[in-house]
Amino acid sequence: MDFDFDVLVIGAGAVGCAAARELTRWKLRVAVAEKNNDLFGGTSARNSAVLHAGFNNKPGTLMAKLCVEGNRGFDELARELDVPYKRTGKLIVGFDEDDRRRLEALLEQGRANGVPGLSMIGKDEIRRLAPNVMGEFAMLSESTAILDPFRYVLALAENALKNGARFLFSHEVTGIERLNGGWEVSFGEKRLTCRWIVNSAGLYADKISDMLGKKGYVIYPCRGEYFILDKRVGELLPMPAYPVPNIRTGGLGIHLTPTMDGNVLIGPSTEYIGERDDYSATAPTMDMLIRDGSRIFPHIRREHYIRNFSGIRPKLAGPDKGGYNDFVIERLDGAVNLVGIESPGLTASMPIAKLVVEMIGEVEDLEKNESFDPVSRRAPVFRELSREEQAKLAEKDPDYGEIICRCENVTRAEILAAIRSPLGARTVTGVKYRCRSTMGRCQGGYCQTRIAEMLMEELSLTPEEVLYSQEGSNMFTGRAIR
Amino acid sequence: MRTVDKKIVVIGAGPAGLAAAIALHERGERDILLLEREKKPGGILRQCIHDGFGLTRFGESLSGPEYAARFIARAKELGIEIVTGATVVGLDADKTVTAVAADGMTAYRAQAVVLAMGCRERTRGALAIPGRRPAGVYTAGVAQAYINLKNIMVGREAVILGSGDIGMIMARRLTLEGAHVKGVYEIQPYPSGLPRNVEQCLNDYGIPLHLSRTVTEIHGRDRLEAVTVSRVDERMKPIPGSEERIECDTLILSVGLITENELTRMAGAQIDPRTSGAVIDEHFQTEVKGIFAAGNVLHVHDLVDFVSLEAEQLAASVTEYLHGGLDECGVEVSGEGVIQLIPQRVSAKRDVTFALRPAKPGRNAKLRVEQDGTVLAEKRIPRALPAEMAQITVKAEKFLSDSPVKVVLSFD
Amino acid sequence: MIRTYTCIMCPIGCEITAEYEGGEVLSVSGNRCAKGENYVRQELTCPMRNIATSVRVSGGELPLASVRLTSPIPLERIPEAVREIHRVELTAPVRGGDVLIKDLLGLGADVIATKDIEKA
Repeated sequence: MDFDFDVLVIGAGAVGCAAARELTRWKLRVAVAEKNNDLFGGTSARNSAVLHAGFNNKPGTLMAKLCVEGNRGFDELARELDVPYKRTGKLIVGFDEDDRRRLEALLEQGRANGVPGLSMIGKDEIRRLAPNVMGEFAMLSESTAILDPFRYVLALAENALKNGARFLFSHEVTGIERLNGGWEVSFGEKRLTCRWIVNSAGLYADKISDMLGKKGYVIYPCRGEYFILDKRVGELLPMPAYPVPNIRTGGLGIHLTPTMDGNVLIGPSTEYIGERDDYSATAPTMDMLIRDGSRIFPHIRREHYIRNFSGIRPKLAGPDKGGYNDFVIERLDGAVNLVGIESPGLTASMPIAKLVVEMIGEVEDLEKNESFDPVSRRAPVFRELSREEQAKLAEKDPDYGEIICRCENVTRAEILAAIRSPLGARTVTGVKYRCRSTMGRCQGGYCQTRIAEMLMEELSLTPEEVLYSQEGSNMFTGRAIR
Repeated sequence: MRTVDKKIVVIGAGPAGLAAAIALHERGERDILLLEREKKPGGILRQCIHDGFGLTRFGESLSGPEYAARFIARAKELGIEIVTGATVVGLDADKTVTAVAADGMTAYRAQAVVLAMGCRERTRGALAIPGRRPAGVYTAGVAQAYINLKNIMVGREAVILGSGDIGMIMARRLTLEGAHVKGVYEIQPYPSGLPRNVEQCLNDYGIPLHLSRTVTEIHGRDRLEAVTVSRVDERMKPIPGSEERIECDTLILSVGLITENELTRMAGAQIDPRTSGAVIDEHFQTEVKGIFAAGNVLHVHDLVDFVSLEAEQLAASVTEYLHGGLDECGVEVSGEGVIQLIPQRVSAKRDVTFALRPAKPGRNAKLRVEQDGTVLAEKRIPRALPAEMAQITVKAEKFLSDSPVKVVLSFD
Repeated sequence: MIRTYTCIMCPIGCEITAEYEGGEVLSVSGNRCAKGENYVRQELTCPMRNIATSVRVSGGELPLASVRLTSPIPLERIPEAVREIHRVELTAPVRGGDVLIKDLLGLGADVIATKDIEKA
């Protein structure tokens, strides 16, 4: 039978895009089906953006093994895909003897997992590394890094696309039927056939697993709320600083994490919720974040809030089981099932992708794709350049001389590139994730009107058609005066 | 990158920048450059199409664009150089202004710099309103820009949070352009904006004003569906059990203006956390010699007529600075019962006019300036409102010493 | 019916209370001068307002030209006035001060453009 695709990846998050990219190293027709209208719709765009070291995971688990592997391999990956990242290291700070015991156990666990660069340090050393962080002693993890998760996912996707993968947005899987040697997948009225399915559907991986015939998994959505603080606070925090993890709550504690762009994230909180897409911010949690965050970082004030956001962890275990379950990475007949890929999923995304290929390779002979190009580069990012380089760019291209997002120094050229590129932005939020526009202090006060106008012009949209993010998030009702 | 020497660089060609540049020219200064990031000068006035501007300055009730046009015409008449489409990306303490435009990047080496960048709006994020992130939540200024400049309508059923002047102006604007405004909700127990606007923007159109209320949740996944409004107590904290759900598709936020001081910080000038604008002396000079500030970038104004006046006073100081230097201002100024007080330092050797806002509304307020326990100047304000800026002048000869000066507003 | 106004005739801002029944002003109190009384009487019987809105412009740098009236009109005529004004469609260039509608609705006020709009 002639199948439409060899491999259909369900879910265009970090894992799905990494899998798609790895699959295109081989002569396979790959497609990625994503239920949302763009990338960045799920957990991969809503997290702490940390490349974890792997000391937080139980030895012998996939989480531990793949996290350490992912961390180790990231330098090369970031080079190939032009992903901004920084090995800041991380501090887990403690105050009393209980903390010290737990930290020492964490260190042991880390060593058992093969995590490099772990050590216990004292108050003076904390002061030297991060002068504004409070703590009596700490565990220092040198291999921990922060990264730009949006660029990471986009780069994986762009590279997969470049190497022949197809992306199908607004394609929500509504049914899967087993065929001889493959599958028929329904997206509402539309149907596609494929030989393999990779289930990287994140928050909906249990539903896809059910459809694949592997029943019994249940995803427990567990929301984590964050606060984003002003870059002025970012100047005071050079590396992530976390309190000692508390096993009872099943989360990692209220963290302070600097971002690649110089902001600080406080969070995430931990709350099991009913819906899988309820990204609401809640009042009690917001108050708690500020209160607990201020314990280890007393510099936080109301005026520093830029905004909050939340992410939802696709947990395989509920609160009664302590909320902990290892990754499920298993080969089914004709499918690779990836269920419960929560933290350290981002860090482990490339090793997971490699496992996917390995599992498929166990069953069939794969032929190398000689024209595979691992490299994908970004268009010049104005704000990252020196004054001289900025001047040269602006002289060459007047669109680089027009600053649209004042807070983040994003130029017209970059926004046009974001809209015009192969996996281009079609919404205000899509432009945001690709360029950082509207992420600054004024939250789009200056640039949003311009970006909406650029979207209308580039995509020939009427005002009613302009979307903020997902389908249904129409921003306008039409012309004011008709 | 080009380097160009310019005697005076004015950053921002809104009302403050325009008035400053014109006044400088009229005082005999030449080699003035106005840098404006928009494609046209005029600043925020371009989108303020309602009238009420220019009552004191011109004796007429003009729209924002008309007020700006008077200054733009005068600037053109005088041949003042205005470069539009140029964004200033750097300001150094040595007064080098780096701007980027379609023709590339230029470093202007100035002898004096005037900061006139205006202000921005407080955002939903900064308020941390619980709930989801649907489309349909706009700050008032952004909604105003969509409607008045882009001919784009933002919604049909609106709720407005904040009874500041901008919120009330937008209540009227939305209504005139065909939307239904269900109500204006204000967290204080009194309106934040001027009584004239309560009358002519809300009462005229039957739009209810609810005091001591705030929005405590936003509903709707993709597009706004409703908001929850709660009553608040004297500490402005939501009262549990007082929640009311209001169906709407648009939430307009008019919850405060914040002076835009990225460049001020870059130059190393000290920021006053109370105004969030630069600390200035009586010459409108920041801590960095030769860098001056006026208009909304310094403190938020309610009448553009006063912005122009302030910018003209600044121009006098800039001229003095360029021709011999300004008096040191070592006397600290503090306030009681007032907010947004400027200047924060004076020389105590010259006439000085303090500008401020009453911290609380009330009748029969007494505004006075004190030094060494003595009243240097005093005046009565029959109706004191935080929405209305007040001024008080102290004559040079009244100052007693170099001791700190206090500006006090109290009610009998 | 009783209504209170904050007078806008001078900075004092007297709080004026008026009694109003069947289209007639029965009493006015709280004002310090005649201007305040006149203001309130006018407000109660026939409030006058200026309005601003925009009209569409084709071929211009901007899609709308802002407009206002040269003198106030009765508040109750505003919805009608706005409808009438919105019928106007201009072609660039437009000059601030251009009279777009003379004697709007016969109320003695002209509608003028308040912005220059150059050709695109």
